[in-house]
Amino acid sequence: MIRKLRRVTPFQVVLVTAFTALAAFMSIPIIFILNHAFKPQSELFLFPPRIFVQDPSFRNFEILLLHASNAAVPFTRYLFNSIVVVGLTLVGVIVVSTMAAYVIAKYRFHFKGLIMGMITLSLMFAPETVSIPRYLIISGLHINDTYFGHILPALASPVAVFMLIGFISQIPNELLEAAKIDGASQLGIFTKMVLPLSIPAIATISILTFQGAWGDVEPSTLFMQSETMRTLAFYVNSLISGLQNSVAGQNMAAAAGLLMFIPNLIIFLLFQKRVMETMVHSGIK
Amino acid sequence: MKPSNEISRQRRLFHSKRYGIGLLFMLPWLIGFCVFVAVPIGWSIFMSLHKVSVVPGGFKYERFGLKNFKDAFVVDNVFPIELITYFQQMLLMVPIIVIFALLISLMLNQRFPGRFIFRAIFFLPVIFATGQVLSELFAQGAGEIPFLEQYNLQPMVEKYVGLQFATTVMDVLGRVVLILWYSGVQILIFIAGFQTISPSVYEAVRIDGASPWDSFWKITLPASVPFISLNVLYTIIDLFTFPLNPVLQHIRANMFKIDTGYGYASALAWIYFGFVFALIAVVLWLFGRSMKSRGKRS
Repeated sequence: MIRKLRRVTPFQVVLVTAFTALAAFMSIPIIFILNHAFKPQSELFLFPPRIFVQDPSFRNFEILLLHASNAAVPFTRYLFNSIVVVGLTLVGVIVVSTMAAYVIAKYRFHFKGLIMGMITLSLMFAPETVSIPRYLIISGLHINDTYFGHILPALASPVAVFMLIGFISQIPNELLEAAKIDGASQLGIFTKMVLPLSIPAIATISILTFQGAWGDVEPSTLFMQSETMRTLAFYVNSLISGLQNSVAGQNMAAAAGLLMFIPNLIIFLLFQKRVMETMVHSGIK
Repeated sequence: MKPSNEISRQRRLFHSKRYGIGLLFMLPWLIGFCVFVAVPIGWSIFMSLHKVSVVPGGFKYERFGLKNFKDAFVVDNVFPIELITYFQQMLLMVPIIVIFALLISLMLNQRFPGRFIFRAIFFLPVIFATGQVLSELFAQGAGEIPFLEQYNLQPMVEKYVGLQFATTVMDVLGRVVLILWYSGVQILIFIAGFQTISPSVYEAVRIDGASPWDSFWKITLPASVPFISLNVLYTIIDLFTFPLNPVLQHIRANMFKIDTGYGYASALAWIYFGFVFALIAVVLWLFGRSMKSRGKRS
């Protein structure tokens, strides 16, 4: 019986072929970025642009490193800032949002309707439009030039809560009630039941939050006056925009683009495995 | 036996304790939200009613009333047109993205060799959803597909959908690649959603003699209605806050113009936001109704 199920059917052959074609089509940009970083000067300006590199070289990275070592603030400082900010933001967003989403999905309390409404409302607001009021608040709290200035504005993420509510409300109430009857505390229910059961959703928001925090230049540009508190994304961005018109800048931009892209890829590959893991296998049947 | 007022007192205590715990869990998020989201948004309402100019040492607010909002439609000759064209495109793109994501995730949920690799590849575009990578690619024209011009599809599209919608349809066709890239998160949500449907249900209907076609319409689709609604909302929000969209670019451009300034930009943002909000309210209402009627039947 099992052998029969495992057999490859014509349907599966069609499916795999269709997917291969689509996948090839979709991975073009990734291949483009990878190749672009290794293109020598002569190939960067070809028109129409080619996807594949003919004569790969590490020259672009050398130029980037040379430029970075001449800067006032060492490259590693930007990297360190980025790692600290992204790490703390990720942990903070996960803890704060799951807590909020859990009670919104499973509890009744005052102003719940109002809070839900505010979440949906704020989802639609593009962050650029509130940047000046945000700056005034940050400077009012005197957290310019600290890591708090990077992390705190990102913590209350409406997107994360919005996505988690959908998943947590799918956890059966019976399961939580059973835990309560067995004597679990509120915190116990949250850490031992809700957190593990919503791991697929947490993995999804981790990917989103990581990308957001890693590529975000807004706090560095607006809230940080001291160069030593700015992140790698800001450095790369200023590099690209400052040297956009020069010929040498294109080399660095290509290499820096790849460097910014790789952590995203790693985090993505790390978390997407978790996303696949089923929610069902953890005791709900 | 306890007197009845004692019981009601205890019940009240129990409820207030539950309320308290709920609020306690909410608290960290709520504080952050109020300080960094709600207050700035409120502030921007205030600004939209004023002319904001930067003076040494702070901002100067000059009372304007609703003039900013009126100017957006009467004086500004770019904003209303951009708003309408963008909405037309979005109304077409959102269903396409969600249906495409649903189909892909359904297929990815099947059992076939190499499924894991394909899943990874389809999620990869999620990485492009933000950042300079996407804008750079678009600047170089990598987002367009060449066959549109090669085969001269424009007259054909005009013939079938009518002249007034032809440009919209062509624009959407030109963004097929964008649609593919934009469905990463949606596919992710759908696949995670499918895992909440217990396999034993499928087994039961198979034993009862249902075809895979039936089981899709009777089980998979109804069970994934919450996820479809989640995805529709996510897609709308994602597209409307996309940094490269022409309306937001217009708003940002106005932000630093001397004669219009931050107040006018805030007013534009609120108009834009009002339209998006209306759209989302309609979507929520439709899905809420379909979920309620389903709940009644079962």
